[in-house]
Amino acid sequence: MQNVTEQPSAKAMPLLKRAKDNFGSLVTLIVLAALPFVVALYDGQSLSSLLANEAGSSKFVQGFVIEILILGIFALSYDLIFGITGMLSFGHAMFFAVGAYLTGIMIKSFGWSLWATLGLVLAAGVLQALLFGIVLPRVKGITFALVTLGMASVFYIVIQAREFGEYTGADVGLQGVIAPDFLNPSTQRLRFYFIVVALTVLIYLLYKRFVTSPTGRVCVAIRENEGRARMLGYNTFYFKLAALTLSSITAALAGALHTLHQPIVTPNVAAMSFTVSALLMILIGGVGTLNGALVGAAVLRLLQFGLSKYFSESASFISGAIYVAIVLFVPYGIVGTWRLKRFERQKGWENLLKLMGVGKRKE
Amino acid sequence: MDDTILLETQSLRKEFGALIAVDNVSIRVRANSLHSIIGPNGAGKTTFFNLLSGNIEPTSGRVIFKGRDITHLPVHRTIHLGIGRSFQITNIFPNLTVFENIRLACQAMGHDNFRFWQDASRFKKYIARTTEVIELVGLTSRAMTLARALPHGDQRKLELGMILAPDPELLLLDEPTAGMASEQVPELMALIQRIRLAGNKTVMLVEHNMNVVMNVSDAITVMHQGQVLAEGAPAEIAANKEVQTAYLGGLYRTVISNQ
Repeated sequence: MQNVTEQPSAKAMPLLKRAKDNFGSLVTLIVLAALPFVVALYDGQSLSSLLANEAGSSKFVQGFVIEILILGIFALSYDLIFGITGMLSFGHAMFFAVGAYLTGIMIKSFGWSLWATLGLVLAAGVLQALLFGIVLPRVKGITFALVTLGMASVFYIVIQAREFGEYTGADVGLQGVIAPDFLNPSTQRLRFYFIVVALTVLIYLLYKRFVTSPTGRVCVAIRENEGRARMLGYNTFYFKLAALTLSSITAALAGALHTLHQPIVTPNVAAMSFTVSALLMILIGGVGTLNGALVGAAVLRLLQFGLSKYFSESASFISGAIYVAIVLFVPYGIVGTWRLKRFERQKGWENLLKLMGVGKRKE
Repeated sequence: MDDTILLETQSLRKEFGALIAVDNVSIRVRANSLHSIIGPNGAGKTTFFNLLSGNIEPTSGRVIFKGRDITHLPVHRTIHLGIGRSFQITNIFPNLTVFENIRLACQAMGHDNFRFWQDASRFKKYIARTTEVIELVGLTSRAMTLARALPHGDQRKLELGMILAPDPELLLLDEPTAGMASEQVPELMALIQRIRLAGNKTVMLVEHNMNVVMNVSDAITVMHQGQVLAEGAPAEIAANKEVQTAYLGGLYRTVISNQ
C-alpha cells in the first residue's frame, strides 16, 4: 500500500495554513455551490425559474452531480476499509443495497416516515458491520474478500427471489418509491442537491477526522503491518470493526440517498460489479486518499456518460481501455500521484516564477 | 541487581507436529539483570521468546511473570503487563514516519484509542512521550523520515524505541544486532545497556554471536535442540565443554551419530 495518507503533525495547524492545505477541497465546494446558478445563467434561465425547479440544463446538471456525489460517498466508504484499514471486501455493494432497498421498502410498502426509515437504515448499517465482524478475527486478506463476497451473493439472490417479490420487486427491482414532498427529486431538486452536497461535505470531514484520530491512525497501522499493531498492544479486531461500522453506515446512507433520488432501484446495486466499481473509483482517484474517492466517482460517472453519448455501443470497451491505462500509467491514482509529485510541482512552480522574474530567490 | 525473580518458566514445551521446538525449558530471570539466551541455529530460541511474549501458545508448561500466570495471554495483553518484544527481522510500519511509529506505540498504552472525533495531535501526553523516546534512541534528527527510508541500523533503533515507548519492565530482544554492520554492534549494545541501567529494566537477549553477549550479560542460558544445555554466569559458560561442543562440533556430531 502506498503512503498517500496524511500524517498528523505534532503542532496544531493555524486556520490560514489549514485553508491553504485544503485549497482544492474549498475550491470544489465553492464550484459545487455555484454550479446550479452558473449553469442556469449560461442557459439563460431566470433565477425564479431555477428556484421553481423548472426543467433545463441546470436541473439536469444538478441530477448528474447528485449521482456523482452518491457514488462518491459510496466510494469514500470503501476507501475507509480498503484504502485506510487495508481490508479487501468484495461485499461492499451489499452495504449500499441494504440502505437502498430498506429505504424503498419501508417508504413504499410500510408507509414509514423518512426519519424513521433513515433511523432503520443506520441501524441496519451497524448490523451489517457486525455480520461481517463475525468472520473478522478468523479470516484475513483474500479469504475475507471471499467470505464477504459470499455474504453479498446470498443477499443478491435473496432480493431477486420471487418469494419476496411483493416487497423487493424481485429481478425487476423496486419501482415507484415516492420520496417525501419536501425532498422530491423532481419538484425539489435544488434543495435535494444542496442537501446531498452538505451531506457529502459532512461525511468527508468526518472521514478526514477519523483518519487523523487515534482510532484512524491505528487503522492505518493495521494496513501497514497488522502483526506489529497487535504487538504494540492494540486489539486490532475492534479497530477493524470500528472502520467497518463507519463504512457500512455511510454506504447504507448513500444507498438511501440513491433510492430517494431515483425512484427505481435495480438489483444491480447489490451485484459484485457494483463493488468493483467502488474499487475502480478509488483506484482512479487514489487508494487511501479519501478525496480520491470523490474524484474517482466524478471521473467514472463522467466517462460513463460521455462515452455512452458519443460511442454508444462501444462505450464499455473504450471505458475498459481507459481504466486499464489509468491503472498502468497513474498507478497511485489521480490524487495519490498529485500528492507524490508535490515536490516536483513546487520546484516547477518556482522555476516558472523565476523565468518570469517574479520568484523569490532561495539561495 | 537483586534476587527477585521477574520471569519464570516451568517445563515449557512447544511441539510443532513431530518437532519439539522447545523441550522442558525451565528458567528464572532475576529482576534488573541482563539474561542472554544463546544457542546455534534451530535451538528454539525464537520459539521460546514467542512463548514468553504470547505470540504462540505452549503445548504444556507455564510462564509466570511477576508472580502471575501469563501462559495463555495473547500478545496484545502481555505488552500491557510490561513485556516488550522485538524481532529478529525488523518489524516496523515502513510507510509511516519515525515519529508516527513511536507515537502509535505510546498511544497503545493509553485509553484514548476510540476517540475518533479528535485529532491524534491533540493528545499531548503521547506526543511528549514520543519526543522523549525518539531522543532516547537517538533518532531526533530523523523524526519526520519515513521508516522505510532509514538505514538498517536506525531501523533497529526505531524498533527498540517502539518497545521502550510503554516503558516495559522486561525487554525481550531477539537478535537486536542481526544484519548490522559489525562496527555498529557495540553502539547498539551500549544503547541497550544504558537504557537498562537508567530505567531499571530487565533485558532478555537472544543472540547468535557469543562474543556480543559475553561482556554484557549477568546470566546466560545456552539452548540446544530445544533444551537447556547449560546455564550460568558468562565465565562458567565460556568454560563449559558441552557448550563448546554444541557451538563448534554440535552439528557435526549429530550427523555422525545419525549414521
